[in-house]
Amino acid sequence: MGDLVETITRGNVVEVKVILASVALALAVYQLVLIAVGYGKVRPPFLASRAASFAHRAVGDVIAVLLVVVAIACISYFEVEDDHAAHVAAAVALLAVLALKILVVRRWHRLSALLPYLGLGVFVLLALTWATSAGDILASR
Amino acid sequence: MTRQVVGSLIAAAVIVIVTIVVVTARLGTTSTAELELREDALKERTELQEERLDQQREQREKRQEQREGRDSGGPG
Repeated sequence: MGDLVETITRGNVVEVKVILASVALALAVYQLVLIAVGYGKVRPPFLASRAASFAHRAVGDVIAVLLVVVAIACISYFEVEDDHAAHVAAAVALLAVLALKILVVRRWHRLSALLPYLGLGVFVLLALTWATSAGDILASR
Repeated sequence: MTRQVVGSLIAAAVIVIVTIVVVTARLGTTSTAELELREDALKERTELQEERLDQQREQREKRQEQREGRDSGGPG
């Protein structure tokens, strides 16, 4: 798997991972804006809450795919080291909360009152995961 | 409604493009091919320098030997 990741990225695994994680974080910030419109907290004249909620769901699917791809690249190419314990912990928690959020959206509708908290949790954990890896790399360049 | 959704998705696409451009610019030219080229050039330069130093050392030694030969072969 590590070889496949290296071949696909043409040897630039770290760079591709940083770019994909940064795109996921940027989209996550946009998600906050969309869901604020979706819940009616913000009411711009050019975007109805239903349209914002629909776009939020679509962009969320893209972010989920991006995160899974980055996680696979990370696990298969890099070894788990003590130096990156915070990154690993944040990433594992992120995937767990994201999985729970997807389950609540698709199956466990009774728990839908938890969605705002789960969404905020996903955002905070994503920011933490990014900051402890991609953010470090970008800061050092 | 459809137009608003499409607009929101286009905005998302713009965010993706801008992020890729900004992060790539920040990372700089660090493609593996580029790094290998740089490494090769550095290695070549180092080898050339070492070769030149070796030649200088050999010439110095040769001159020293010639000088010593002249000194020992003289009268007295």
